[in-house]
Amino acid sequence: MTFRTRLLAGFGVVVLVPLAVFGLGIRREMSGRVSAEYERSVGALAAVIRADIARQSDGIAARLAALKSALANDNRFRAAAVQGGDRAYVLDYAGDAMRLTGLDMLQVLDDEGHVVSSGHFRNEYDRAAPIPPPGGPALVRASTAEGDFLAFVRSDSLRLPARRFTLVGGMRVDSSFLARLARDRELTVSVVLPGDTALPQLTGEVVANVTVPYVASAGAQPLPAGIIVTQSESLLAALRRNVNTWFAVAVLVSALLAVLIAGWLSTRFSRPMTEMERRVVMGDLARQVNHDIKNGLGPLRNVFRHFTQVAEKEPANLPKVFTERQGTVESSIGYLETLAANYARLYPQVNEQPTDINAVVREALRHAPGPENVELETGLLDHLPPVRVDALALRRVIQNLLGNAVDSLDGKPGTVTIATERGPDGTIRLLVSDTGRGMSKAEVDRAFDDFYTTKKGGTGLGLSIVRRLVLDAHGTLRVESHPGKGSKFIVELPSA
Amino acid sequence: MRAYLGARRLAVTIAGLVAGACAHPAHTPLTPAGGAAACLLAPAPGQTTAAARGPVVTVALTDSVDPTHAPVARNDAERLVFRQLYETLVRFDCEGRAVPALAESWTSSDGGRRWSFTLRADAQFWDGAPVTARDVVVGRGGVGYTLNPIDARTVGVWLAKGSDDVPAFLADPALAVTKPAPGGDWPIGTGRYWVTGGTATPEEIRAYSPGGDTLVFRQTSGKDARDQLDAGVDLLITRDRSIVDYAATQSAFTVVDLPWDRVYVLASAEPPTTRLDGLEQAVRGEARRPQGGGFWWEELRACGPSPAGTPTASTGARRIAYVRGDPAARDLAGRIAALGGGTAAGLGQAEFSRAFTGGAGAGYVLALPRTVPEACRAARDLLPPWPAAVAPLVETRARAVVRRGKSRWAVDGDGTLHFVPQ
Repeated sequence: MTFRTRLLAGFGVVVLVPLAVFGLGIRREMSGRVSAEYERSVGALAAVIRADIARQSDGIAARLAALKSALANDNRFRAAAVQGGDRAYVLDYAGDAMRLTGLDMLQVLDDEGHVVSSGHFRNEYDRAAPIPPPGGPALVRASTAEGDFLAFVRSDSLRLPARRFTLVGGMRVDSSFLARLARDRELTVSVVLPGDTALPQLTGEVVANVTVPYVASAGAQPLPAGIIVTQSESLLAALRRNVNTWFAVAVLVSALLAVLIAGWLSTRFSRPMTEMERRVVMGDLARQVNHDIKNGLGPLRNVFRHFTQVAEKEPANLPKVFTERQGTVESSIGYLETLAANYARLYPQVNEQPTDINAVVREALRHAPGPENVELETGLLDHLPPVRVDALALRRVIQNLLGNAVDSLDGKPGTVTIATERGPDGTIRLLVSDTGRGMSKAEVDRAFDDFYTTKKGGTGLGLSIVRRLVLDAHGTLRVESHPGKGSKFIVELPSA
Repeated sequence: MRAYLGARRLAVTIAGLVAGACAHPAHTPLTPAGGAAACLLAPAPGQTTAAARGPVVTVALTDSVDPTHAPVARNDAERLVFRQLYETLVRFDCEGRAVPALAESWTSSDGGRRWSFTLRADAQFWDGAPVTARDVVVGRGGVGYTLNPIDARTVGVWLAKGSDDVPAFLADPALAVTKPAPGGDWPIGTGRYWVTGGTATPEEIRAYSPGGDTLVFRQTSGKDARDQLDAGVDLLITRDRSIVDYAATQSAFTVVDLPWDRVYVLASAEPPTTRLDGLEQAVRGEARRPQGGGFWWEELRACGPSPAGTPTASTGARRIAYVRGDPAARDLAGRIAALGGGTAAGLGQAEFSRAFTGGAGAGYVLALPRTVPEACRAARDLLPPWPAAVAPLVETRARAVVRRGKSRWAVDGDGTLHFVPQ
């Protein structure tokens, strides 16, 4: 895992986790408050609906009271109802009164509960009608010629000489009546009658239930019915969904910002850290060299200390001891020679001599990597004077540059060109160019740094070694690169 | 008349009303009696009439008038309008006397089997063409009689069964003499007043006479007819009690009862199980219990076997159907539903006719003419094509609201008014 990755992950943990916890808390709090506020609102609406129902009931009762007063003073009705004359007037009385009072149903019943006059169904006279209990609202099943309907009614009574009459009046309970009660589209008002086999589809939560006696037919006992207020959960669900959505958006935005910030920070800090890592590696290498040398010198120091002691105390045995410890000395020396040879591989000895640069190029090309999709072009200028370089180092330079050029193609088809030409001031110029991905200016600036690489699995030492070898040959090295178009490495070497 | 079924049926209906409520056994006067004073409405002794004081008489109509129905009316408004425009050989006054119309005189022979009617000397169509016997007989006839042109001005009527009285069917509007007008305009009649498409609009029909007087029929359908009374109309025929009550408060008007011309019945596959007494209370208009019995639909043995059809099985609750827009039928259906526990269903005319023919539904409330000239034809045209129990419910009549002293109107035997110019 790279430092940048570790930095990103660490930042994510440090920032995102608390942020997520904070967001969850906010979400929970908001959801709770939204729900509580909504329930308070619904509760208030339910209270209003209860009040509306009570107000409807009171309004009907007031109208019936006015009708009762008018009826008591209506001599024509009195004469007709009590003495039996002018039947048509009695039959039409409730209809006219119902229209005047704005009621949907009105009946005048005699003391046996038979219809004397009906406003909503003139010709139901003499029929037995359901009588709601006095003193409060009730639901009754009223008849018309075309069918029945449910009515929200009140009743009142009056006594004319020798006869008692009951006024039953009210409003039709239909969808518009219930919709007027509902007031809010998220609330639904329904009526549930006792014994209903086809109960209305109550969806949502019941927030109010007003119990009203229901009289289904003449002679039937009142049974409790309910005017049910249900709250659709859709709004609350929508609110919660919105909270969740915005919460998710906030988390995503925060995460994105965190990643961007982490990226910026890692970029800002990773370069010094890489340099630091390089120094650490160099330190490690130095420590390893120190350790290795000490390992080689330790036995030698011991042997010579032994020789000194023998020479002082037993000089006669010195040859013998020498013979005995000679193997150790040789072994240590061999170890150091091997160690030196190994380190020498990291920095080989320079053997500068006049060298035909074109010959070295051709030799390098024979062993150059050559994927099929890479077109390798050469442009070697003939009759170039020799350059004074170590041929092996020059070959290593060429191989490194060719390898880099091929790698920059990223496996895609492309062209790698190697050429030689005369440079300024008697120098010989070696050009290695490619049509690969190129480098940004930041990459170019660091291209020759030790351990800097943009290749997966690269050591970051290739171009660094090239630079060092070229410098050792008293030459110069530079690169021209354009991202997406390719790079050109230019080596200038002094002629011999 | 909305409850009547179709044009042909209505023809029978109107003809049947000739022997209406005020009819009594008709005499056969060889010399027509002329307009009887007893049949005049609001004569207002000592007052002058419209013809003397002014040329225009305004009539309010409570139904729409369709000229394509002429001369066979389908509602009260058409009855009133067509009566002023189209003529039959004779008409019958409110006392059942035959009075001259297109024919000015008549004779009978062969024990009342052969009748000869002499056309008016000045009988002519509105376009000035003279009316001939051939115009009267072509395309006309019926069960039990034939019409024959004896000469240019004499129409022979041969009856299968002799009659001492002028046959009532001769006043059947279906026998009114007309000829088609170009372009589907109002049929050209022979009456005193004439109308064309140019003198009629949906709101107003203006009928002119050669004498210069004009009848203006104003449409009040869908409006409050009381407004028309206030606006100065001279005549209004109505079955609406509220209008009658209002007119009774106006000293300028006289309200005249017209003959009991309709019988509302309940036609059903099975006789009603509920007692149908007191239904006259259920009707908000003028209604009474059926009088006398012996209605024409009860004496149909001479018409052959009863209908063999079977009513379509009804579904659902017991349904009492009626023609929407007939308030009396609606009231009666509602009352029957209240008594029997069913429901009343108001249907459009076409829908009602289809249901009535098929017999779907438990019962049908409809209006029948109180009397008809030919019971068998009426039964075929008016009664259901399936064996039905026909229970009379109530009888109704219209009332005429007439402005005092403005115009003279006479009641015909079928209850229809005709204008009597001075």
